[in-house]
Amino acid sequence: MTEGAPAIFMAMEASAIGAAIRQSRWLYMSANIGHIVALMFFAGAIAVMDVRLAGGLAATAPRPLLRRARRFAIAGFLGLVLTGGILFTAEASHVVLNRVFQIKAALIALGLLNVVWVEAIIMPRIAALPPLSPMPAGARQGALASIAIWFAVAICGRAIAYF
Amino acid sequence: MTRLLPALTCAGLLIAVTTVAAVAHHGWGSYDAANPVTVNGPVENSKFENPHATIVIKGADKAWTVTLAPTSRMTARGASADIVAVGKTVSAFGYPSTVEKDEMRAERITVDGKTYELR
Repeated sequence: MTEGAPAIFMAMEASAIGAAIRQSRWLYMSANIGHIVALMFFAGAIAVMDVRLAGGLAATAPRPLLRRARRFAIAGFLGLVLTGGILFTAEASHVVLNRVFQIKAALIALGLLNVVWVEAIIMPRIAALPPLSPMPAGARQGALASIAIWFAVAICGRAIAYF
Repeated sequence: MTRLLPALTCAGLLIAVTTVAAVAHHGWGSYDAANPVTVNGPVENSKFENPHATIVIKGADKAWTVTLAPTSRMTARGASADIVAVGKTVSAFGYPSTVEKDEMRAERITVDGKTYELR
């Protein structure tokens, strides 16, 4: 327990759930492995979406491709939140004060803002486009921002343990 | 927009990798492998918990907090919770932390004549 952390995170770590995660032989390990597996799903799906938004895979109509990839991205993201929540709860007071974790959390917020922007502004302009159409303004920028941000999130995630 | 977000991201990363390792405990990087120590004594406190089990050993001169392995690895190597329980006499060979005072990471421990490799 790290003294000086906000009370809610101290309580989270001290909770029965927190203790159960720390003391279980398999739960923490499973969450760790599950976090990587969910990341694979998420990163793969995001890569497909971002490549399409950036103008790649142009022979495929954007809408069905993006729709299918989005489902995997959402499933991967939910998996990341669930497994990440387990890992976080076990050491909440310690991790919340970790600088790299704070940067990661901010980057996730930035990534989600980018998702909102792309989904609200860019996607409607893409919806009806046939294959081989040029992408509308902003699509490429949104895709590049997405790739850069999620790479940085993954790097921070792994780096938390070393700071 | 094209350049701004990647630039912000890079700035964030730069902060991340240059942050002083104030609370580092993971891996072996923040331990002084050039000056290994052996601490022998009774276990005063034992936390058989993830991400790493930790025990406090009352050594000859002071009490050492000894960081062990993840509990699943401990169990796999035969060093279950009762092996490092309070009251057991444990000899820990490992490396002192370069960050936290009186903390070390154990390469191996010996309990009741049996040695358990923890790396």
